[in-house]
This record gives sequence, structure tokens and C-alpha cells, in this order.
Amino acid sequence: MKALIKFSLHDYLRSHKYFPPISTFIILILIYYSYRPNPIIDSYAVTAMILYIISAWLCISVLSLDPPVQRQLMVLHIGGENRYYLSKIISVLLISIILTVYAFIYPIIFGMFDESVTLTIGLVSLVNHVFLSILGISIASLFSKIITENAINSYGGLALTIIISFAALGVYDALPSYLKNIVWIIPPATSTQTPLINWNGENVLDLYLFPFIWIIIYSLIVLYLFIKLAKRIQK
Amino acid sequence: MEKLVELKNINKVYANKNVLNNISLTINKNQILAILGGNGTGKSTLLRIISGIERPSSGEINYPNKNIKIGYVPERFSKNIRFTPSEYLYYIGMMSGSAKDYLTKRIDDLLLLFELDKMKNHRIMELSKGNIQKVGLIQAILNRPNLLILDEPLSGLDSEAQEELVKILVELKQQGTTILLTYHESNIFESIVEDTFYLHDGSISETASSEKESIKLLIVRNVNKSIFKEWDGIFHVEEKGNQLYLYVTVKSSDVILSRVLQLEGSIEAVSTVTLDDMERML
Repeated sequence: MKALIKFSLHDYLRSHKYFPPISTFIILILIYYSYRPNPIIDSYAVTAMILYIISAWLCISVLSLDPPVQRQLMVLHIGGENRYYLSKIISVLLISIILTVYAFIYPIIFGMFDESVTLTIGLVSLVNHVFLSILGISIASLFSKIITENAINSYGGLALTIIISFAALGVYDALPSYLKNIVWIIPPATSTQTPLINWNGENVLDLYLFPFIWIIIYSLIVLYLFIKLAKRIQK
Repeated sequence: MEKLVELKNINKVYANKNVLNNISLTINKNQILAILGGNGTGKSTLLRIISGIERPSSGEINYPNKNIKIGYVPERFSKNIRFTPSEYLYYIGMMSGSAKDYLTKRIDDLLLLFELDKMKNHRIMELSKGNIQKVGLIQAILNRPNLLILDEPLSGLDSEAQEELVKILVELKQQGTTILLTYHESNIFESIVEDTFYLHDGSISETASSEKESIKLLIVRNVNKSIFKEWDGIFHVEEKGNQLYLYVTVKSSDVILSRVLQLEGSIEAVSTVTLDDMERML
């Protein structure tokens, strides 16, 4: 898997397809921190949401790199489809982690916050970034070229899903009580926002952790679905 | 003979169309085999199923040697690869678990053998069609596979490279590799192919030894075309006026002739044709 991950990252670099999502992320972070001081927890919550969208974009572009014949050959060489798809997902995650580090370090280095970042707040914020990027990657995998050949359906479907995920709270309030459970199928992108904003930042145990756990469970279910569907479609 | 791959009742359905019907065949170790048939008969699908790239809709495929290494050369190798041949082959070798030192030397040797050594620093997407096809071939033999599957390997190769390929295949066979290939419009492989499977409308009619004259053309009258659907050994039936042209295997031609006579049909002509002749006539 290591060789395919290296191959994918190297190929992505050569393709220059990384430029639009990564430059957009860098610019958005620069704009967000264009004035100071900023509240730490709230700012990191917002940059994690931006990373959620950018990770989804990265995922779609990385998964569109290999033409079908190339994909088949790599599956043969790496010894299985599960390994192939997991390698691709890990490749995207590695890029997202680099962006996480940038989003985390930039405001600290340039003194954009109103106070210093404590270890607890730092760790929770990092985890929130990584979890939301995993969520973005998992959702985008379902709209990638591997599953949806048509680029309009691919990007259109993903954009719509991301918009719905942002509107989840509004959708929940608008639904009659017997339909409220439908909200569980909407990607929980905004679920960590309210607990983070209400958190005092002193103790992790004071933070309502269920939304974080749910993001990971939801992402794993979607990734499992993606691999199942991809295997069925490609064979 | 030691079995390498065994297919039992393989069927493949695409969009409600049967591409492969009940294919059963055994590939033994250390042979050069060909699967022949016209366009759209399911050759490539069968090769992809044997290689493990594609799954059959039903049926069973067994590899008695669980550690079998399969090399696969697709009919059209990807053109848009942003790596040089050396880089690409190195990554492919690493994916298969080869050691770094072995790979570096093996890649250099193979690039030299296929005369790609001068182009090893050009990106694959910048190479000619023939050279891209050569990279496709090298990736398949890089890890010394037990079974090498080639889907129309001649496409894009000039005559010199075609002859070189034949030599390489013979060498690989001598080293213990089993080779399975498809081709048409060329006799270049006839001298090395030991057994041939004929595929027609998704069915294998018979295994015949590779000789030029292996198909009988029977021209018959006064028999209903539909009855031949159930008969064994028939490649193709064509209606021309009030005559039926039956393309059959040599082995089953006598049985078919006697059954036609039993049904009070008349036999107008019997001749022997080559596979190329048959494809031209169809």
C-alpha cells in the first residue's frame, strides 16, 4: 500500500490538479485571519469546516486520476481492490493532514489569537480538523469518478450534499417531530460546532463528545459503502 | 500436466446481454495458448476474468497455486501516464512487493531489451503508441509472472517489435511462464501457439490444435436453421437464400453431416476453411 500511496501523491503533484483546492484553502485561511485578535475555539471550528469542503474537493480530484485500465492494473499489482481504494483514501487524508497543520500553526505563528493556545484546546481543535476532513473525504468518495462517471453529477451531487450538511440544524427544526430522525442520514458536518462554541476549553470531559464519535462512525459507514459500491461497479 | 487455472461454467452478463456462456476450460502450466474469435465475442472479458480483474456473473474460477503471479497486458494501455517508464515501472514493481535492488536492475534490463532505454527519461504520455504498448508489456513481465495474459498484444507494434515480442514470449515460456493471448489478423503467433480456444458468441466451441485448416464449412439445404442452436461443435450458422452455411469444427463435422442427412436435409458442399477465412466471410 505504501508504494501506491507514494505513487498517488507523486502523480497528483505531477497532475497540478492539487493547485485549485490547496490554493483556495490557503487563501481562505489568510482571509479569515486578516484581522486580529480572534477567539481560538471559534476560529478553529470555522477553519475545520473549510477543511471539510476542501478535503471533499481533494478526494474527488485524487480519485479521478487513474484511468479505468490503469486502475485495473494497479488492483492486480497491489493484490486487491480493498488495498487500492484504501491507499487512495489514505493519500487524500495525508494531504488533508498537511492542510490541518497549516490551519493550526498559521494563526499561532502570526499571533492571530487573543490568547495563547492551551494543549487541551490545541488537541481538540486538531482532532476536529482531522475528523471533519475524514468526513469530507468519505462523502466525496461516493461522488467520485469511480462511482459517478458524469462530472456534472459528481461535483453537483457533492455540492448539494455539502449544502444540505450545513443546513442540517435548520432542516431538523423545520421537520415535523415524526420525521426528525431523517437528519441522521445527513452528514454531521456542523454537529461539533455548537458543543465547541459552548465549551469552556479547560477540560475535555466538559465537552459533549458524542458528535465527534458520530462523525467517525458515519465516515466509516460511508467509506465501507464506497468500497462495496466501487467493487461492484468496477467488476 | 499441472493445472494453473481452471474455469467452471463461467457466465458474464452485461446490461442483460450474455457476453460469456457457460465457459469451462483448463489452462495447464508452461503452455502458450490462444483464444481466438471475431470482434465482440467476449475474448477480452474472458481474459479479464482469468486475470482476476473482472468477476464472472456466475461460475467458478480456481487457481490451484494460491501464490500465482499474473501479468496482464490490456489491449489499450493508458496513454496519460505522467511518469517516465523507469519511474512508472519502479512504482508498479514496488506495489507487487519486489525488492528495490532487484527492480532497478530488472527495469534497466527490460528497457534495454525493448529498446526503450533511450526514452527512459521521457514521460510515458510523450511516447509513441508502439512504445507505450511496450511499457504495458514490461509492467506485465516485470515480476516474472507464472501466467502472462496478453490482450491483442500486437496492436501498435511495428513488425520488428512484433518479432521481438514472439522471441520474448518463447523465452518466457522456456523460463516456465504460461502464456495466454488473443490476436487476430496476424499469423505471427501461429508458430508458437500450442493450443487454441475458439470463442464464438460467448461460447467456447472446442479446443483445437493450432493448425491453419481447422474449420469445416458445410453448405446444406432443407433443414431449419433453429435446430442447430442446440448442437455441439458449431461456430456459426448463416442463411444465404435457401442454403445454410455451417461453420463447424473438423472433429464434429462427420456427426453433423450424418445428423443433417437423418433429418432429410441435403448436403450441397463440404470444404475446409481457415479461421481467417471464416472471419472474412462473416
